[in-house]
Amino acid sequence: MDSSVPLFDFAAVWSSRTLLLEGFGIAMFCATAAIILAMIIGLLIALMRLSNSRFLRGFAFVYTQLFRGVPLYVLVIWVYFGLAIVADINLPKIPAGIITLALLNSGYLSETFRSGILAVNIGQSEAAAAIGLTKRQIKRYIVLPQAFRIVLAPSGNQFVDAIKDTAILSIIGVPELMRMAQQQADLFYRPFEFYTTAGILYFIAVMGVTKLFSFIEKKMNRIGFTNGSQKVANVGEYI
Amino acid sequence: MNQNSSDYLLEIKSVSKSFGELHVLKDVNLNIAKGEVVCIIGPSGSGKSTLLRCINFISPPDSGEIVFDKVSWRSYRSKFNVLANFRYEKKLPALRAEIGMVFQHFNVFPHMTTLENVSLGLQKVRKMKKDKAKEVAAQSLEQVGLSDKLQVYPDQLSGGQKQRVAIARALALNPKVMLFDEVTSALDPELVSGILDEIRRLVREGMTMIIVTHEMKFAFQVAHRIVFMDQGKIVQVGTPEEIRNTQEPRAKAFLSSILE
Repeated sequence: MDSSVPLFDFAAVWSSRTLLLEGFGIAMFCATAAIILAMIIGLLIALMRLSNSRFLRGFAFVYTQLFRGVPLYVLVIWVYFGLAIVADINLPKIPAGIITLALLNSGYLSETFRSGILAVNIGQSEAAAAIGLTKRQIKRYIVLPQAFRIVLAPSGNQFVDAIKDTAILSIIGVPELMRMAQQQADLFYRPFEFYTTAGILYFIAVMGVTKLFSFIEKKMNRIGFTNGSQKVANVGEYI
Repeated sequence: MNQNSSDYLLEIKSVSKSFGELHVLKDVNLNIAKGEVVCIIGPSGSGKSTLLRCINFISPPDSGEIVFDKVSWRSYRSKFNVLANFRYEKKLPALRAEIGMVFQHFNVFPHMTTLENVSLGLQKVRKMKKDKAKEVAAQSLEQVGLSDKLQVYPDQLSGGQKQRVAIARALALNPKVMLFDEVTSALDPELVSGILDEIRRLVREGMTMIIVTHEMKFAFQVAHRIVFMDQGKIVQVGTPEEIRNTQEPRAKAFLSSILE
């Protein structure tokens, strides 16, 4: 009986392509929205960790430790079910998923941004202060633009992680790619074909993001955007 | 000097500073008159650079007072009153805007063209309109001989050219005093004289300057007064002639080791 079933059959996948692509779109939307939110929050947390106020530093430290320390699986359940129980906040599935991913990634990105800001040569801030710029102006015009260049590659990595992490959102029923693949696989008894297709779609998305970030990086190097003295683009010649 | 204190543009009054256990400056006093060129010399680690950085509070002194243009400035930091700290930090840029500073390692902004490097302060500190700022910045760069490099990023400039950008950046703001912190120490030997010529030009124009340098010949040529520092203290102050013929043992030892 079983021998009459073909080994691989992607016909079912093809017939479900609209659902899968919808799921893919939702996954990409969640990851993109989450990473944008995470960058904004992460920058604020990084600035808090570097501030003079002991209170802000403490808050930022706890924030970072918390969201880096809790598994995504638990975090998504806290945001979706926990908030509803504790605070009577009933978030729809997709916003809950985006907020979860934003919290997790902001924890990681805040550390990335903090080290990026600290990596900008202190002489830059001193020179900016010496011409009479205020602390805020020094951050805005001198330190952050240079830190941005430094954190670009690690931020791209974080984006890639966020894309793959959207799969976890299936546990609260966000209709993203993994959940769609799961449902269709169960329907057609074709788990291998559906999960492989999902895997390929994730892979393509990751490739796209990688290409996008290396394009931005190249563009910035071309305008002479270097960190202090060494030209980052040339490192490949030596290592 | 027989001027009374109100004639001084800058007064450094019993400034002390330490980094942990290390006392870098010990009760330093020095007065600078308008138009005066003062060169600070001394062995490395004697506190020359730190003294310079205390004047504009890039490295705030632990104690003591800086009187600039008859206004007194002291370090301030409260452990509890965050608002007072904030208000204090808001004031400091006004002092720094009147004091130009050039550094050993140039510290030009690598993400900006030379023109943007110079016009930034004009726009943000002197509140000039963008066009006006670019115009003034271009003039300032022309004076240091870089009028053909306005749209170039610093990584395409030589060390000497970077240092010229840094000088133009400071001068564009029309400061009342210029601080030079070993500005030729990181340059290739053949580029040193060009930068020293820029400083000589400022001497001729009557700019008030405090120059920390290891270029002894230059220091003795341009300085009205020479300050010899050692171990965080000013050991001797005098005209180049007086310092050259000093009998003070440490100054004498230092000069003979350098001048051979």
